Amino acid sequence: MNKRGIGQWIRSILIAVFGLVYLFPLYIAVVNSFKSYADILKSPLALPSHPTMQNFVEAFHSSNILSLYGTSILITFSSVAMLILISSTAAYVIIRRNNGICKFLYAFALIGIMVPPVVTLVPSIKTLSMLHLLYKPSGLLMFYGGAYFSTTIFLYTGFINSIPVSLDESAYIDGANTITIFFRIIFPLLKPCTATAVILMGMWIWNDFLNPMYILGSTAGRTITTGIYNAIGAYTSQWNLVFANVILASVPIIILYLSMQKQFMSGLTAGAVKG
Amino acid sequence: MKHNKLHDTLLVAPGYLIYTIFMIIPLGMCFFYSFTNWDGISKKFKMIGFKNFVRLFADADFYNALKVTLIITVITVLIYNVLGVLLAVILNRKNRVCAFTKSAIFVPTVLSSVVVAFIWSYIMQTDGGVINILLGALGLSPIDFYATPLRTIVMISIIISWNGLGLFLVIYVATLNTIPTELMEAAEVDGANGVQRFFKITLPLMMPGITINSILSMAGGLKQYDHVKVITGGGPGGATQTITLLSVEKAFEYNRRGYSSAIILVLFILIVIVSALQLSITKRREVKY
Repeated sequence: MNKRGIGQWIRSILIAVFGLVYLFPLYIAVVNSFKSYADILKSPLALPSHPTMQNFVEAFHSSNILSLYGTSILITFSSVAMLILISSTAAYVIIRRNNGICKFLYAFALIGIMVPPVVTLVPSIKTLSMLHLLYKPSGLLMFYGGAYFSTTIFLYTGFINSIPVSLDESAYIDGANTITIFFRIIFPLLKPCTATAVILMGMWIWNDFLNPMYILGSTAGRTITTGIYNAIGAYTSQWNLVFANVILASVPIIILYLSMQKQFMSGLTAGAVKG
Repeated sequence: MKHNKLHDTLLVAPGYLIYTIFMIIPLGMCFFYSFTNWDGISKKFKMIGFKNFVRLFADADFYNALKVTLIITVITVLIYNVLGVLLAVILNRKNRVCAFTKSAIFVPTVLSSVVVAFIWSYIMQTDGGVINILLGALGLSPIDFYATPLRTIVMISIIISWNGLGLFLVIYVATLNTIPTELMEAAEVDGANGVQRFFKITLPLMMPGITINSILSMAGGLKQYDHVKVITGGGPGGATQTITLLSVEKAFEYNRRGYSSAIILVLFILIVIVSALQLSITKRREVKY
């Protein structure tokens, strides 16, 4: 083997080791979720010598994990769908109609892009309770609609700009109206941008912690993040149960990511980074 | 082409309605509340001018929260962007090892911050934590990550970076792929070595990605809440509180919504200034080819 070949090998090994070390905290969480509390104290690094499912059974019951998943799926799915719908339609009109009102609307939409959600959280509690939406999933949905509208409209306007107007014009000559043109012709072409928006918003909303804690509270059901926080808070140092909860909350997402990795990676950047 | 005004309105109105009610109005309310002594419950409150801000700039808790937030921001921005660019350059090859490590770095990104914080609070324990067990095995003395607030904050910043690095790496890899290979080949023919190629070609052409990532990472660092909340709860005695943590506590635990709004407003202004500065610096360095 020549010198360059050996160099390549060492390089590959170092890269692989880096990847493995990066995953080490997850290894700790996985192996310890199958151990009893005493086993964790005795040998936290080893593979479980007497693997047990007891932690999962207990965690499954105490955190009511299925209802947490239900709430999180409902909120994430509806919020992302709503954001895609309201921002792609609005972006289309304000980009295509080159008039003063639309220029104003564009600038107006960008005000929110730098506003972190915590800025609107405290006042929104008031607004939502006035509208009878506080402590309801629909209230959180509306909050996300306001909080992320700027980001999604920013993604869409950039992308729609790159779609030739001649497409709209030929559909118009064929007798299609504005709404038909948008949903039949333009929206399908926005797929890369929609993918980026779905993944970004989906990750942010699914993993959000602060906003559901105060907007949903505990009465309307908790999300995965607030539910796990609450469940683990009850037994902070019982690491076997902590890890079982952690695994229950994460495994479906990791499987989803691993099975759609390609779409995930390309989707994340397709609408955001232009070549 | 004639446009149907009704259709246009139907397409634009729902989004702007929601945006106005749940972003613009609350933003205005935040400004307004910051000049009041509202407690969040009673119907009555008084306009008190700049008193909240005067109090704020004399509040030791606020300065401490500002310091904590800035430390977290600086460390995470550095790790995300320096390590992110380096890893992108190293891992941007089409082979299995690089693909594996890229995916490995991305896995924590899909995990929720709460989950990540719980895993790490076990790992960084002083007694029986994995880091100290490993240090012991190497014959080194254990580290107490809770010994000083600074040490805790630095460790939390590393944890945040572990959690989020994947997203930044993916954006950097995508930016790297937009650089035409002919440029690299031409530089190689001209006799530029690896280091020269990195600083003279790769880095300048990655500026668009660096612009996006530095803004994303700064904004993320300045509004940090989740990891600190789970790992220390802001303690001991508020020593590791970030600005967001402080304002949320003031609003919901002490019922000082006016004062809390003033804190959040300062955070917002900070984010706007930092992003504007950032944009003007990196935009100037973007090159065309």
